[in-house]
Amino acid sequence: MMSKKNYSLVKWLLLLFLGIWVVFTLFPLYWQVITAFKSAAETNLTVPTFWPKEFHPENFVAVFADPTNFKALVDSFIIATGNTLLSLFLGTLAGYAFARFPKQAGGENLAFWILSNRMFPPVAILIPMFFLFDALPWGTDSYMSLIILYLVFNMPLATWLMMVFFRDAPRELEEAAYLDGFTPFQAFWRVTLPLVLPGMVSVGILCWIFAWNEYLFANLFVGSAVRTFTIVIPTFTSGSQSLWNLQMAFSLIAMVPPVTLFIVLRRYMVRGLSLGVVKG
Amino acid sequence: MSTGSGSYGAVANPSQGVPDWFAKRKKIPTNLIVARWVPVALVGLPVLTLLAIVIYPTIWMFYHAFQDTNMMRLFQSNWSFVGFENFITVLSSSRFSDSIWHLTLYLTFGTGLEVVLAVILALTLFELVQKPLLRTLILIAVVLPMMLPPSIVGVLWKFMLTPSNGAVNHALLSMGLISSPVEWFNAGVSLWSIIIADVWNWTALPLLIIYSGRVSLPPAVYEAAKVDGAGGWIVMRRITLPMLKEVIAIAFIVRFMDAFKFVDLVYVMTSGGPAQTSELPAYIAFQRGIREFAIGEAAAYAIIIFACSAVIITLFLKYLKKVLKAQAIA
Repeated sequence: MMSKKNYSLVKWLLLLFLGIWVVFTLFPLYWQVITAFKSAAETNLTVPTFWPKEFHPENFVAVFADPTNFKALVDSFIIATGNTLLSLFLGTLAGYAFARFPKQAGGENLAFWILSNRMFPPVAILIPMFFLFDALPWGTDSYMSLIILYLVFNMPLATWLMMVFFRDAPRELEEAAYLDGFTPFQAFWRVTLPLVLPGMVSVGILCWIFAWNEYLFANLFVGSAVRTFTIVIPTFTSGSQSLWNLQMAFSLIAMVPPVTLFIVLRRYMVRGLSLGVVKG
Repeated sequence: MSTGSGSYGAVANPSQGVPDWFAKRKKIPTNLIVARWVPVALVGLPVLTLLAIVIYPTIWMFYHAFQDTNMMRLFQSNWSFVGFENFITVLSSSRFSDSIWHLTLYLTFGTGLEVVLAVILALTLFELVQKPLLRTLILIAVVLPMMLPPSIVGVLWKFMLTPSNGAVNHALLSMGLISSPVEWFNAGVSLWSIIIADVWNWTALPLLIIYSGRVSLPPAVYEAAKVDGAGGWIVMRRITLPMLKEVIAIAFIVRFMDAFKFVDLVYVMTSGGPAQTSELPAYIAFQRGIREFAIGEAAAYAIIIFACSAVIITLFLKYLKKVLKAQAIA
């Protein structure tokens, strides 16, 4: 057993460690922000500066001098939004069925099978999907191919989280609606769906973040017609000179949506739902 | 009590002055009434989608793992059966055994370390930081890296680890921890660069899982321990850690699973180089199939990864069921 004095020493050491960890986490982000404000010359100094000599907020505008950069954000947005809507639609159907008619819908094992698809190693399906989409009318280099592919990890997530929300929605209200002469669809659409709408929005946001951030599928599938920002950013410096400041400014802009949404969503994420179900 | 007995009477004899809606309501079985095909159709659509985008490609991979397919043969569709030749080629290649060694290092000092750090950090944060606002701020700060796109994480760390004038080398030099700049992207070191970036990026996930696991532990147990006069350390060792056992296992398995899919940081930071010294199995499967056109071999890699993942996923689902049952989510 530990004495009181030793115990408080351990406490302080642990707190110190936590503090160091916070610094370790935030330092790269700090570095990213100050680099985004530096001039191109300052990023290439032999001794790096830990505070910009002069601020160049115009970097954030200069990023979009190349129209492909703006288009990359638009492409990412279209793909993430399209995929989120599709995942929510399919996930809501299945989630509702699993919550209300567990036996008839295939039971626990089917639900877990759907979830297991989320953990699937993407390399195992990447290559065949490439040739499959190649043979389809819209080809690989299109919004459609990525919107469909991202279902692999987003639809199981949506199914599971919607299942949890539908379970929490009181079924008595739905039964009462039946008695008032609603058809099952009306009861679902007018009574239950409004109840789970807040949950649905947060599931949608989560799916959107995952689709926005995706790199591996996009890397293989995109070509000249569609390029997500996740593909554009790493190749930013491939020209003759490295433009770290613009690259960092661009990545800061691209980070704004997921980071903002995360801060809004954090309470919901911390509350039990993050049990690995959230991560693919 | 009299009202209570009245309502019992009403149930026993529905015809006696029971409101119409109540009597009807009693006739409804526990399940809502819909046609038999409705739930099947509701689940059917998502399941069909998964069959198309997961099961079909898996079967395709299994088939081609036993063929001598390469890109050219695929387009001319004249591949032929070669038995286990692809597997033999893969398993006997030094590229594969090297990547297994890299994976072992990554699992120990990436995944393993992340979970250990996460346990320490999550519990320190929950037990020792009392101010709610401070706690929230720290939580946001430490979980933030997880929300960033992996390609940005890769680029950011590549920039920070630039050997000549990167922030990390400069900081280490000025603190006197190293005497000359570390060549972060040389053979033998580049894998460690990836591991550092990965620890930065993904410690957040086990941390979040363990933190939320700790939040949902029943406070009553802790009150009882307090009444019995148990001190902080004893409570941690005898109550908190045993009760979090499954949650910690989940956190570990989730990260372990990710290790078999881990490609993006490798791709962005080193492309497996220099000279294939930072390649992980998933990266090789990707590279062999897509960039080096050896589809049969890539399929063999994918099958090996698939088999490992299947074992881990099964294990994961087992623990998940347990924890979800305990937390009454499923």
